Amino acid sequence: MSRASSWTRRHILGASAGAAALAIGARHGALAAPAVQKGSTLTYWGGLIFSDQANKTLTDAINKWGADHGVRTEVVMINQNDTVQKVSAAIASGTMPDALDVGLDLLIVLARQGVFLPVDDTYNAIGKDHGGWLPPVDKASNLNGGRFGIPFGISGNMLLRRNDVLSKAGFPNAPTTWAELVTQSEKIVKPPFFPMGFCLGNAGDGNTQVNVLQSYGGRIADDSGKEAAIKSDATRAYLTWLKDAYDKKLFPPGVTAWDGAGDNNAYAAGTIAFAANTGSVGIAARKDDPDLYQGTLYSALPGGPKGVISPIGPQLRSIPKTSKNPDGAKALFEYLAQPGYTGAYYANAIYGPVLANEEQLSVFGGKDPILAGLLDLVKKGTAPGFPDVYNAAYADVMNSFLIPKMIQRVVVDHWDFDRAMDETQAQIQATYNKYT
Amino acid sequence: MSVTTHGAVAASVKRPRLSATAQHALFAYGLVVPTVLLLLGLIGYPFLYAIFISFTNRVVGNAGHFVGLANFRFLVNSPDFRASVWNTITIVVVSDAAKLAIGLSLALLVNQRLPGRGIFRSILMLPWAMPAFVVFLTWRVIYQPIGGGLNLILTGAGLYSGYIDWLGERATALPAVIVATVWRGFPFWFISILAALQTIPGEQYEAARVDGANAWQRFRAVTFPGIRQVVIITTLLSSIWTANSFENVWLLTQGGPSDSTMVFPVLAYFGMQTMQLGQAAAVSVTMLPVLAILVFAATAMAQRGAED
Repeated sequence: MSRASSWTRRHILGASAGAAALAIGARHGALAAPAVQKGSTLTYWGGLIFSDQANKTLTDAINKWGADHGVRTEVVMINQNDTVQKVSAAIASGTMPDALDVGLDLLIVLARQGVFLPVDDTYNAIGKDHGGWLPPVDKASNLNGGRFGIPFGISGNMLLRRNDVLSKAGFPNAPTTWAELVTQSEKIVKPPFFPMGFCLGNAGDGNTQVNVLQSYGGRIADDSGKEAAIKSDATRAYLTWLKDAYDKKLFPPGVTAWDGAGDNNAYAAGTIAFAANTGSVGIAARKDDPDLYQGTLYSALPGGPKGVISPIGPQLRSIPKTSKNPDGAKALFEYLAQPGYTGAYYANAIYGPVLANEEQLSVFGGKDPILAGLLDLVKKGTAPGFPDVYNAAYADVMNSFLIPKMIQRVVVDHWDFDRAMDETQAQIQATYNKYT
Repeated sequence: MSVTTHGAVAASVKRPRLSATAQHALFAYGLVVPTVLLLLGLIGYPFLYAIFISFTNRVVGNAGHFVGLANFRFLVNSPDFRASVWNTITIVVVSDAAKLAIGLSLALLVNQRLPGRGIFRSILMLPWAMPAFVVFLTWRVIYQPIGGGLNLILTGAGLYSGYIDWLGERATALPAVIVATVWRGFPFWFISILAALQTIPGEQYEAARVDGANAWQRFRAVTFPGIRQVVIITTLLSSIWTANSFENVWLLTQGGPSDSTMVFPVLAYFGMQTMQLGQAAAVSVTMLPVLAILVFAATAMAQRGAED
């Protein structure tokens, strides 16, 4: 019997496992994780979301990491509506935390001002450890070739539809185009049931109409990201679609003054059939209205003549240059990318995954239609702003709600399309001029 | 030696000594200085700094640089700014007039000897006591076109069977905001006027009655002069508060639909949202002259009232 022949299956398996462990250990060693200084302090501003459980999961994880590494952690959860004001005041007073959660808008503006440290090393290390970053996430979080934030979740709009109502009317499948959505809506409209629950007011949800506009070929600005380009035949085609649906009373009364909760409230009240939503209304229905939850299906946003525009919105972790503990923050970011934490967090937060390995997490296994929809969104979604250039001026136009206001000129003030487009074109150009 | 002594005496005689009045004045100034420094630090500095920022292109994270009147030019060319001038004036003037009418009427009513007037007074103060957030979200629900209280009342009474989009139409949005603003603000007028009414001596009314004055004549000759000062100051204060009021518009319409309810505070908030701090400050600064006039007028009136 040769020596080699004395190796049993158990020996081979054991050796393989040992080799794998060594390989993992070696890889971790090669990545040279940031050194954490014991006894140091780390303050973290987390982005408060609607799920208390998700907020607690984040806070507990950070505090546990701190306890394990001998770092004093202080976690402050910030209402995301107040982030701009709080960060602004903190920068002015020199009291920025050691790390914080930010949305892409704020990250772009502050990275441009040199407020954040580059985190390419941490970004690459996390990507390497977890099967790589999902391509749309990788693209969306790249700021002129650099990384100033570590993505940890993707939000974006899905199309929620009342499958129970639509199936009975002969529409078992989700509309694939906005024109088809109108056709379906015409068949089921019956006041006080108004199918098209899309906000047209001065709220973030109103900017969903920008995606519809872009799917018709409309653009906010040209490819250089400097010249306004809203006045076009494509915009005219979009406005024609919109006004037609509005005049047919397919939109509920009140949409022109809806706030961010308008579609949630209307969907929960059962007075609309469609909504473009991150899934929060579905999660609420799961608990409060099981029938509505069962009757709801989720799909990608419909498309227009130029395809589907369904932007993803990355949430990121960043480190201010003034951070007193940047190495600690980087090590924390790596810790928060571990599946043990992310699985628990995603189960309660309505965010899609950012890393390739996260697709394998049980929460994205398809049992939960909302999380399955978010996974689908991440895979099929478009980059923020696409086909426009997502820069500070574009973000300014979005935050000023210039497109919802153009729509209101048409449907509320009854302006003709050219007049509304002319006013918006001038406002967009004035906005872009501020950044040149 | 004698010269030295003489010199010392002369020096002691020539040394200027503060009079008692001057010493008191110095002491008084010394006492006031900490307060003045506190006011300068807490009010003067932020106030002047806001004016300075309005002339810069400051954004979040960057102090920016001096841009002259660029922010003001941008604002003047904005349709929202032009609308906000008109809307702010309309809301202030109309809601003040309505609050005066309601506050005065109720104060005159409650000033009578009525059974249960104490409870009535307390109930009337409720809108003022409630958090603005709750008040305006409640009004938002009342104005809902589908299932909102107002439309349900109209439908139930058989007056209208459709869906009036109170907050979503240009014709109704601003009046809807004004009604909610008046509801929230009238108790301040009511309580101020009631307090003034109670300082008018009953003998004056008795004398007027003896002279044969009717109710209107008594109001004009006795009541109105007695409450005039309070009404003026209340008007000025209410105008300042209403012009600066943010929650009423933001929670009801966010300045829409179109620009039908856009007001200065909401416009400034949009500037903050877009991280354009210079531009947001410019919005506030444009309100400054009007508000300053109102503030100075209110202060002068209050002083004159105190002297009278």
